Amino acid sequence: MKKALLKGFLDMLPLCLAVIPWGILCGSLAVQNGFTALETQAMSLLVFAGSAQLVAIELMAGNTPLLTILFTTFIISSRHFLYGLAVRHKVIDQPLRWRLPVSFVLTDELFAFSHHRKAYRTKTRLTYALSAGFSFYIAWNLWTFIGIVAGSLLPDLTTLGLDFAIAATFIALVIPGIKNLATLATVVTAGIVASVLKSQGFELWLVVAALSAMTVGYIISRVISRTNSQIHIKQAPKS
Amino acid sequence: MMTTILLMACITFFTRYLFLHRALPFKVGPKMQQFLSFSAPAVLTAIWVPIVFVTDNGINLNWQNPYLSAAVVAIIVAYKTHNIYYTTLAGMGLFLILN
Repeated sequence: MKKALLKGFLDMLPLCLAVIPWGILCGSLAVQNGFTALETQAMSLLVFAGSAQLVAIELMAGNTPLLTILFTTFIISSRHFLYGLAVRHKVIDQPLRWRLPVSFVLTDELFAFSHHRKAYRTKTRLTYALSAGFSFYIAWNLWTFIGIVAGSLLPDLTTLGLDFAIAATFIALVIPGIKNLATLATVVTAGIVASVLKSQGFELWLVVAALSAMTVGYIISRVISRTNSQIHIKQAPKS
Repeated sequence: MMTTILLMACITFFTRYLFLHRALPFKVGPKMQQFLSFSAPAVLTAIWVPIVFVTDNGINLNWQNPYLSAAVVAIIVAYKTHNIYYTTLAGMGLFLILN
């Protein structure tokens, strides 16, 4: 159990460090836009969603109507539906006291560690996931706090290009998983569609890119398994 | 502002929890499961590729783009080592030198 706690922490550590620029930005940007320290920290403690927080801070500072803010939050958060669907069969048999904390920390980062066949299915693996998920939660809140306290003293780390750290960690998570044509096609589609849509300023870029990439991967894996089974039938000895 | 923050918290938690709610009367079938098996590479790639290519002025395919060369190195190291620490260090190291 101790091992699982430690492994969860160590696996998540690079991601905890990679979001330093964003966490600090969340803290400093909010304070600069007239949020109190308490409100800023509460946002990271309760909302705990980097991209949604950053967008909402700018919207709230611009006196955007509440409904627009909430709708935008919903659009940005809608990718979590996919995560819930993808891990549902692994988590659903666990009691609520496990499912609640798991869903609370089900970020992009934790989802990246959820692909194992047995993920969430044993006590050890649940401990591992919660350790990874909550160490990310603590880190995110720590960086926010530093942003609140020291934000005006620090340069904007994201414009220094330190946002590349996230790209590097995600590359490390995705590339080793490319083991067949279907996954390769998924990755290529996701990258192209996301870049094109995002550069055009299309708000649903992330969800649309993910869904189209998943569709391409799924279709290719179906075609390949069908072709393989046909070859198999042809090669079968005639009796 | 606190009200807005609380409502936002409800929305993000709702999107994370909904499909882990047991009373939802459905089962993810094998075909759906296969479709969803591509969700991690799809979403993560849809997040990192635009960080590399998309700027405020559109898509940057220039080879001088430090994001691009550092990403290529990170991809090679990830492919060879399967190690998140080596990959991040090599990618970030080259990136900081170039930038």
